Amino acid sequence: MKLAALFVALTLATRVAAQEPRLERLDSAARAPVAALIDSARVTGLPAEPLIQRALEGTTKGAPAGRVVAAVRRLAADLGRAREALGLSTAPLELEAGAAALRAGASPAVLTQLRRARHQPLMVPLAVLADLVASGVPPDSAAAAVLVLAGSVRDADLVEFRRAVERDIALGASPAGAATGVARDAALGVTDLNSSARTGSARPRRP
Amino acid sequence: MPRAWAAVVGAACSLATLSRTAAAQTTATVDFGISTVRYDGFLTSGAAAIAPSVRWERPNASLTAQGTYLQFESGNRSIQGNVTGSLFTAPTHRWRGQLLATAGASNYAEFTSFHHTIGEARLHRLGEGGGGGTWISGTVGRSSLGGTPRRVLGVAVAGWAQHAGIQLFASANRSVVGDTAFSDLEAAARTRRGAIVWEGYAGVRIWSRGGGRGVYGEGSATIALGNHVAVVLSGGRYPTDPVRGSISGRYAGLAVRVHSPAALRPTPRDFPLHPPSVGSSGTSDPAGRIEVLSQGDRAVRFVVRAPDAGLVEIAGDFTDWQPMALDRGSGGVWEVVVRIPKGIHRIAVRIDGGPWIAPAGARRAEDDYGGEVGIFVVP
Repeated sequence: MKLAALFVALTLATRVAAQEPRLERLDSAARAPVAALIDSARVTGLPAEPLIQRALEGTTKGAPAGRVVAAVRRLAADLGRAREALGLSTAPLELEAGAAALRAGASPAVLTQLRRARHQPLMVPLAVLADLVASGVPPDSAAAAVLVLAGSVRDADLVEFRRAVERDIALGASPAGAATGVARDAALGVTDLNSSARTGSARPRRP
Repeated sequence: MPRAWAAVVGAACSLATLSRTAAAQTTATVDFGISTVRYDGFLTSGAAAIAPSVRWERPNASLTAQGTYLQFESGNRSIQGNVTGSLFTAPTHRWRGQLLATAGASNYAEFTSFHHTIGEARLHRLGEGGGGGTWISGTVGRSSLGGTPRRVLGVAVAGWAQHAGIQLFASANRSVVGDTAFSDLEAAARTRRGAIVWEGYAGVRIWSRGGGRGVYGEGSATIALGNHVAVVLSGGRYPTDPVRGSISGRYAGLAVRVHSPAALRPTPRDFPLHPPSVGSSGTSDPAGRIEVLSQGDRAVRFVVRAPDAGLVEIAGDFTDWQPMALDRGSGGVWEVVVRIPKGIHRIAVRIDGGPWIAPAGARRAEDDYGGEVGIFVVP
């Protein structure tokens, strides 16, 4: 029985590796389990490319095989959680962004709320959400700010929003206060986040 | 909870005088003021304010309603209002309970986004002779931004005393608003000398996660000009208030207060503003940065400052994690321009064959391999 299972795994790994020559760069001990994880992801409809890249990243960084396999397995699980929250028809880029947001600390419920609030692709809002959390904005404050904007602004506006928050934090505002203030401003339309006045030499202005 | 310190001092002293207050009374004040404010990260602005307050008080209960209307130089305006009720239980020896409830909302430039409902329970222990006391309290409630509610929790311990006509107050509290959390240590003093009421307080915010840190304090002098009019001079710095959605700032103000004869207690101040943000200049760092060039062709320029390096490489998902050498420019700057497809990307930098590190200027995240990776988005 064990021999049969080993044979199946090796067969799958060989088949995936043949389809994906980049996996030849992996340590031999990591190649088969990673290939199996990638094949399993493909079967379940999850994107394979992020998993391949995560494995290649570990290889480039000289990580041991076990760590590479664990990283790929963890990412596959995150992608699965993101799909549960965002829906079965979610695009691969959105899934990847959703997985990153979950890893940053956003809750699955926030991803679901974002899906309901925005009828455009979610890749940028999810990336901005993850960036805000990484900037020190508490996850629920970041989620509230992004949700305020998600239904009405463009991707480029969201990117500018994230930059504006980072700038305010650098100027001394608390992360939560900065996110809240900028989101409120943008939701009001008081400031066009994407206007030239907000780039380059833009200066603080009066309330 | 944060910063209604004048009310806190007043409430503490009310506790001491409960037995001496025979009947209900209603007092009212209206402040007409001008001020200069500077929120952290914004330009200084002038503002005109009207702040009415009404307080109904009985020996064991009180109800206070207050509001503030602010008009800024820019033409933007802010309105906020709060209603607070307080009920004392019957005293048992030197112990007494108190329940407080507060509801409020704020509106800036036609867009209401913050409102809160908070309940607090306090257990007081009066000192000998009623000249001081301590309390402990717990707070629960909700604060909402844009329809998204967040839970508010708080615990506090405080003490107060009266000596030689000076009221003193000190507190330590821990507040949790959603997953923002912070601790404030505060001390306040109030005294009346002739026609002038002096007040001051100082605080420090520590152990903060998302609520900012630092020292703050405010002071005021209320100068009575008769039975119905006073002039209030005030100024200071206050911290971020995640419950009401205000950000930290400095101010100095002058107000004329019109009040009913019994309104000796100053109106607690509040700063319910959510000023617009400033423009963005993007991220920068002397050690290196990435720039996403929004030219429609998704070209990304990577710049690393490494004056002493002989080789600078990047690797990322856009190179299949194969090292890519940067070109040496002038002034110790290394750079390369790469066309990268739309998406979220991961990047690492290596100098002279050293370890792979996350470049400054990109979002940093744990990389699953015991280090960090830079993350950026190409929209």
